[in-house]
Amino acid sequence: MASIIDIKDECALHVRDFEFTYKGAEAPSLKKVTMPIAKNSITALIGPSGCGKTTLLRSFNRMHDLYPGNIYNGEIEFEGRNILSSKEDLIHLRTKIGMIFQKPTAFPMSIFDNIAYGMRLQGLKNKTELADRVEQALKDAALWKEVSDRLKNDANGLSGGQQQRLCIARAIAVEPEVLLFDEPTSALDPISTQGIEKLVIELKDRVSIIIVTHNMQQAARVSDYTGFMYLGELIELGHTEELFVTPKEKLTQEYITGKFG
Amino acid sequence: MTAVEKRVVVNKIILALSTLSAVIAIAFLFWILGVLVMKGVDALNWNIFIFEGAPPGYEDSGLKHALVGQVILITLATVIGVPLGILAGTYLSEYGKNSKLAHFIRDISDIMMSAPSIVIGAFVYAIVVMPMGHFSAWAGAIALAIIMIPIILRTTDDMLQLVPGTLREAAFALGAPKYKVIMDVVYRGAKAGILTGVLLGIARVGGETAPLLFTSFNDNFFTTDLNAAMPSLTVTMFNYAISPYEDWQQLGWAAAFILSMFILGLNIMGRLILFAGKRK
Amino acid sequence: MIDKIFSNLTRFSALLVLFIVAWIFTELYNQSLESIHAFGFDFITKDEWAPNLDKFGAYAAIFGSVASTFLAMLFAIPVAIGVAIFLSEIAHDKIKGFFGVSVELLAAIPSVIYGMWGLFYFVPIIRDIFGGMGIGLLSAGIVLAIMILPFMAAVTRDAMNTTPDILKESAYALGGTQWDVIKDVIIPYARAGIIGSIILALGRAIGETMAVTFVMGNVHHTPSSITDPTTSIPVTLANEFTEADSSLYFSSLFGLALTLLIMSFMVIAVAKFYFLRKERRGS
Repeated sequence: MASIIDIKDECALHVRDFEFTYKGAEAPSLKKVTMPIAKNSITALIGPSGCGKTTLLRSFNRMHDLYPGNIYNGEIEFEGRNILSSKEDLIHLRTKIGMIFQKPTAFPMSIFDNIAYGMRLQGLKNKTELADRVEQALKDAALWKEVSDRLKNDANGLSGGQQQRLCIARAIAVEPEVLLFDEPTSALDPISTQGIEKLVIELKDRVSIIIVTHNMQQAARVSDYTGFMYLGELIELGHTEELFVTPKEKLTQEYITGKFG
Repeated sequence: MTAVEKRVVVNKIILALSTLSAVIAIAFLFWILGVLVMKGVDALNWNIFIFEGAPPGYEDSGLKHALVGQVILITLATVIGVPLGILAGTYLSEYGKNSKLAHFIRDISDIMMSAPSIVIGAFVYAIVVMPMGHFSAWAGAIALAIIMIPIILRTTDDMLQLVPGTLREAAFALGAPKYKVIMDVVYRGAKAGILTGVLLGIARVGGETAPLLFTSFNDNFFTTDLNAAMPSLTVTMFNYAISPYEDWQQLGWAAAFILSMFILGLNIMGRLILFAGKRK
Repeated sequence: MIDKIFSNLTRFSALLVLFIVAWIFTELYNQSLESIHAFGFDFITKDEWAPNLDKFGAYAAIFGSVASTFLAMLFAIPVAIGVAIFLSEIAHDKIKGFFGVSVELLAAIPSVIYGMWGLFYFVPIIRDIFGGMGIGLLSAGIVLAIMILPFMAAVTRDAMNTTPDILKESAYALGGTQWDVIKDVIIPYARAGIIGSIILALGRAIGETMAVTFVMGNVHHTPSSITDPTTSIPVTLANEFTEADSSLYFSSLFGLALTLLIMSFMVIAVAKFYFLRKERRGS
């Protein structure tokens, strides 16, 4: 029914028959989604509001578990195991699969402490190593030049775009395998947005990236693969260029041409 | 133990301690409520409502005087305090809004909400009891009203601000003068909230003892003379409970039970009204 | 025309609030003048309260107020924070509702009932454990703590709940536990609100009369041990106001009232002006 291409390269994640029902809901929000996520590439999830793309994204790092009562069915395979199992060590999982949110979420602490936070959680205490990795993470996030002289300042003094890059630096400092981006530029101005998009493309050499976006043009600019979702189902997954130029499903075609938002 | 394992253990300990705190708090609640209900129900009988106060050891003694007195004091305080509180809250929300004066009044009013009620009693003693030469229901009611006003002011101010500005604009656009916009549109829109505020204000002053101790003082006999000392449930409860007489202590518990039911009832009613209002 | 009357009426009512507050201070001050002239600073520093000798040094009462409140804070703060954490982070919806309502119920019980329960049920326990009469500083501190607990837990929980969800989720997303999120994100974020709430509760506790009057005793001397009966400013006022027989006695009591008012006003004002800045929405 859905047109999902076969990903010949290695997969970072594989979703199989995944069904998700919110607590107290009558019908599932995600209906038997099957989807491979290619390694070291960028997969964009697009679709109208309520299609389930954010719900799917937040399942990868089991963020839904913070709000008990939801029901998972099916499987999400990562590093050879099903991460939906109740035996899964969520703390460990989240150091492997990181997340960037819709609004910049700088913690109420200094810039340095923000970046170091994830590493400190894992027990890294050595001051030199921390300093080195903080510097590296900030460089990777293209933020080092701007903040290297004020690492002890409160992170909330940074601009929106800078804060979001801070959050990215914070996430990559723990060296995850996968990075999840939940509409990361929706609260930013166009110039900051450009910066973030550039950064995301640079990062794909080291992590596999899944990005949820409301903005089709962004998906087209940035991603290698695009998945179109509608009403809880994955309608089509393909190479970004092909999907946008020659979509295989009628629904995809209609969404892309703006027949519905 | 790795750092991660250590964090998980610490987390479990903290969560356990927090749960323990909650259990402790609930335990005290049940203990106090349990005592209240047990001793109160035990002491309840129809005599309480029929007879007025009497010296210890008397057969026919009750709380009629205190119950009626409490109602009189609360009613009087409400009549004085509620209109002033609502009007003041209206000023803050509709006229003063974000001006420096309005903010200052709000801050001072908030501080007064937590100020010691016994000090208010002393104040009213100085300005009402001393000039009058004797205790009176008026003094007690004024003390309670002073305590009530900041509460009503705050809830009215908050509730009125919740009414959307577009509603007011629509009324103005039809040519209504400001006072009519407020009375017909804003008050109506905030009706439930204001009523809840009033009920909670009454519940709060209804349980006050300290400000009455030397304003309305107390009386063991039934009276409706506002110019003389007025019995109240709270002061009676205090006097009886602290006395060495068992039958008085019993009455004290009965009074405590009745008062608590009344206040809890007001609280529940207030929240129900707010809840029902939100549903719409 | 009516418009003018209405708006003036509202302004008058609002200004009345300020006027009453100012009047309270000035009236209490005027009434205390006699004792201020008679004793000066000794009023606050001398532990010498002898009505029949017309000598009034209120140190014992002030000490009692401060000490009992300090004890109450010692017991109440950890438990209140624990309850707040429980309510905002641990409890599932139904339990949250049950506990939430219970906390509000506790806060609505009149303080005189806490006092009665304290006298008849708690004091005997203290008496059994520590000996002596059972009434005194320790009992007062504990009863006060129980009384102030619901309020403190509720406002602390409210302060913690102002933390935005995605900020918390960001910390979880890095592999944090609940305690990590509480100590590294929620508490720093809501620090001002939490401290403000605690100080506000302190301000209330200092003025508490009825819960304490039952269990403090009425001994106007600084206690030599924590289980000795003593007094506090509200307790003294409650017990002695109607028995004062000389104008100096009255004036000293008014002086006590003024002292208490200033103490609690300052504490609450600090909480309000420094820690509990609240943004007001415009109409």
